[in-house]
Amino acid sequence: MKPFDPRLLREAPAARRPVAALAVVGVLQGISTIALAFAISALAVAVVRHHSLTIPAAWTVGLFLARAALTWVAERVAAWAGVEVTVALRTRLLQRWLTQPADERPSPDTAVVLAASGTATVEPYAARFLPALVSAAVVPTLALATLIWVDWISALIVALTLPLLPFFAALIGNSTQADTDRRWAALSALSGHFLDVMRGLPTLANYGRAERQVDTIGEVSQRHRRATMQTLKLAFMSSAALEMLASISVAIVAVTVGLRLTHGSMTLMTGLVAILLAPEAYWPIRRVGAEFHSAADGASAITDILAALDEQPSTLEAPTATELGVELTGVTAGYAASTRPVLTEVTLSAGPGLTVVTGPSGVGKTTLLDVIAGLRRPSTGTVATGRVHYVTQRPFLTAGTLREALTFGRPATDEDLWAALRTVGLDGLVARLPQSLATPVGDDGFGFSAGQRARLALARATMSDAPVLLLDEPTAHLDVDSAALVHDVITTLADRRTVVAVTHRRELVALADQHLHLTPTGAELREVSA
Amino acid sequence: MTTRPPVRGNNDTGSMSPLPRTSRSIDPRIVIAGLIGGAATASGIALTATSGWLIVRASERPVILTLLMAIVSVRAFGMARPFFRYIERLRSHDVALDDLARRRTEVYADLIPLTPARLGRRSRSVVLTGVVDDLTDEVEAQVRVTVPVLSSIVAGLLAVALAAVLWPPIGLVLSGLLLVIAAGCWLAWRLETRSQSEVLDARAEVMRLSELVARQADEIRAIGGESTALDWLARAHDTLRRAVRHQSQGRAAVAALILGGTGIATLAAAYLAVRADVSGPVAALLVVVPVAVGDALAPLAEAMRSLARAQGSSRRLETLLDEQPAVAARGTETPSPAPHLRLTDVTASWTGERRHAGPFTLDLSPGRRVALVGANGSGKSTILAVLARHLDPTSGTYTIDGVDALDLDLTAVRRLIAVVDDEPHLFASTLRANLLIASPDAQDEALVAALTAAGLGAWFADLPDGLDTRLGTGGRGVSGGERARLGLARALLSERPVLLLDEPVAHLDHATAMNVLADVANATSGRTVVMVSHRPEGLDDFDEVIDLTPAETTRTATSTAQEN
Repeated sequence: MKPFDPRLLREAPAARRPVAALAVVGVLQGISTIALAFAISALAVAVVRHHSLTIPAAWTVGLFLARAALTWVAERVAAWAGVEVTVALRTRLLQRWLTQPADERPSPDTAVVLAASGTATVEPYAARFLPALVSAAVVPTLALATLIWVDWISALIVALTLPLLPFFAALIGNSTQADTDRRWAALSALSGHFLDVMRGLPTLANYGRAERQVDTIGEVSQRHRRATMQTLKLAFMSSAALEMLASISVAIVAVTVGLRLTHGSMTLMTGLVAILLAPEAYWPIRRVGAEFHSAADGASAITDILAALDEQPSTLEAPTATELGVELTGVTAGYAASTRPVLTEVTLSAGPGLTVVTGPSGVGKTTLLDVIAGLRRPSTGTVATGRVHYVTQRPFLTAGTLREALTFGRPATDEDLWAALRTVGLDGLVARLPQSLATPVGDDGFGFSAGQRARLALARATMSDAPVLLLDEPTAHLDVDSAALVHDVITTLADRRTVVAVTHRRELVALADQHLHLTPTGAELREVSA
Repeated sequence: MTTRPPVRGNNDTGSMSPLPRTSRSIDPRIVIAGLIGGAATASGIALTATSGWLIVRASERPVILTLLMAIVSVRAFGMARPFFRYIERLRSHDVALDDLARRRTEVYADLIPLTPARLGRRSRSVVLTGVVDDLTDEVEAQVRVTVPVLSSIVAGLLAVALAAVLWPPIGLVLSGLLLVIAAGCWLAWRLETRSQSEVLDARAEVMRLSELVARQADEIRAIGGESTALDWLARAHDTLRRAVRHQSQGRAAVAALILGGTGIATLAAAYLAVRADVSGPVAALLVVVPVAVGDALAPLAEAMRSLARAQGSSRRLETLLDEQPAVAARGTETPSPAPHLRLTDVTASWTGERRHAGPFTLDLSPGRRVALVGANGSGKSTILAVLARHLDPTSGTYTIDGVDALDLDLTAVRRLIAVVDDEPHLFASTLRANLLIASPDAQDEALVAALTAAGLGAWFADLPDGLDTRLGTGGRGVSGGERARLGLARALLSERPVLLLDEPVAHLDHATAMNVLADVANATSGRTVVMVSHRPEGLDDFDEVIDLTPAETTRTATSTAQEN
């Protein structure tokens, strides 16, 4: 896990500007901090020596106001960088997944963690840790360089003690690592307990077991407290130790400065500057250490996301367009997990018209459509097809309004929508809904029956301009009347387009121009009645 | 139309304080931690001040011994700051975690009477996850807000006192600086509070769309919806950008105000110190004190963000916990073990404002099996909630064995009824423990029998560790169908005579749904069953199928869309 991985900027070019801005603002802040040490020293000297205050006072106020402005900018830039880095990574990730076949993407759960919570932890990393990293790189360097010029003895002390900070941090880290690791599993189990019983509350209440959990929650939370405190104690102790170390180092600078001042071998101005600059060399390093602790999640998420983006971009080669039809030659396909292919040596040539696919359950009918649609890569054989619109068995209707669900993929006017709804016989129903096309649809089309969902998906398909239409069990959930209506729609669609439909319905098979029957050992073309 | 006002259990009226929870008095232990934090912050200010004094005094070339006292103080303050900070952090975190334990038990106990009717109609686990996060935010505020604010006040006042003793006008200057910082904090708090919900909503929408694409990339590609999905994402990202930009104004403002104020205060202190009747070293000390105060109080910017967030969390918790339980718990009589349930002209409402179901009449003699179908909004789930004694009827009567259900002991009635909803929770524990929830004393054979009856026989046979297999978070993953069946297995195991199934197969694909329903039919024979379903399919085994869709829209199944 690196504090900063330059690949981030390569993979997410949109993040370059905000990160560059962070660096620029960080450098300017560092310069103003150093300059302010001089101005305050000069002001104090002028006060003590009763010199004119005008010039040092003007510098001090001016630099403070400059720092105020820079801090204002820095906060805004940090927030901007946080969002932009996150947005860039998330967009790249989701764009990538929308071009990859299923078996080359991470599992849905991993994908959600990566795209949602993973990228979310990147935001504090970019907004908090990166600025700290910039100032840790800039401020101590500037402070030390200035000290060499102003007072080399103080500079030498700082240069000798500064490396002790990371050294001790590593030492403490190493000696507590085993202990932290050992505690980690127990700690996460304890901290997950409450969420688990909370989410299970309805289930527990259902069986009258909720009251019993109250005492358990108190008891487990107390154990969680004790375990957490053990871990925190170490963390707080090590940060206190580092602060003491820095404090002692600054004290050494102060003592040598004081001695030289009493000796008369140093001016007050130099002494004040040295004593104000010395702490600037230490705190940014302590702060970056503390911030890294809370940014570690973000850093490791970035590593994971970059790894996901890094995988060979073996995006699907665009299927060879055959104008309007579907050409499969010797296609065999299966799931990586099982050794036996689901689909064996299927050859199919379909042009405009209706091709139905039948076969017993589990024989690979859906897999065949997935392969044609390019969602799954065949292990052998070739697939050539025009642009495809594929109505899956569980119609994809996402949360939003009905209008949004129907125009997902292709914009359409309300007129088009009503026409499409009329084709599938849902115009009456939608017209009666109080909010009509603006009716909210739940996840998975919640609020509509399976048959209505199937017809909504078909309505969307009629509006698609894709020359190839794939339908998986389009009428499985429909009663006989609705099925007949939908079969009419399908044959109309097949007048001009290549329609491949998987079905159990004999009525639909009877309407087909071509009939492919799949068996566990292969595929055969059957006679069609028409 | 409300004939029966919502009734609270008469024995728990005192449990809820009329005062908003945010105005709870501050824990004295956290005050002590804040004071210790104040000592740490003050040590930091004193360190800078004494260093300034020391350097100037040294430049006057006194006998070294006269500096010893100051040298020792500089050292002492340098050590005291990390030491006090360490003590403060230990104490404040310990107190906060202890408070978290207490609040968790409190809130959990308060939620039980509100479960499930007041936890929202759908996605209750999302509501409950929100409660967990909100509780953490609320309690963390002690560490992130109370301690830094107290520390700043203590240290700031000490600095004012020190300056006032040395030269009163500079005490005034420092007071002015503190007031400016306080005003900055107030402004930051206002800005943060205002942008709070905007940011939360924007993040939630981005999360929703990320999850949509991450889970359903294939479905999106299938209909050529890639550009639509990415457009939606881009729009959500734009909203998030705007929200975060608004939010960052607060922190930026207070941070800039602190620095600007410090600059002005330093200027004022310098002009006053030069005219002051004090020695050179003290004058230098007075010039650097405002700088030290400004430095020490900078963490307040972060504290204001935490404060706004914690207040938002507290408000959400309060709104939830201030709900009235949806059922009266005043009955005492016990129903029979083979109850005869009857609804007569029952109407019910979740909110008290509008009717969500009924009037509805249903006679459930023992062993009767009824399916309720109909469009969303027709009141199916509401009827089920009344039957389950999750929700009191607004009008009409619900009798069990002829006795008004409200006159029966609530716990005893609920013990007759097993509810299977569409999101049964699997606990991070063994399969055995997950099943024993329904029947604590059941033997392993009974558990296996329930699994088999729920259609999980083959699944169970494949488990490497049998009943000891760990499920839930960190355990073995289960599919939606398996989860639904585990919910059913629990219900079967409970041997409760009445089974209420609320959309048990809502999230399953057609084939799986049909299989689960067939298993339900086989496994529940002999029990009273009421099942709510969107789907008209798979209901052949029921004695009666009731379509609740209002008459005027019966021909096409859906009426209004929104129950929620």
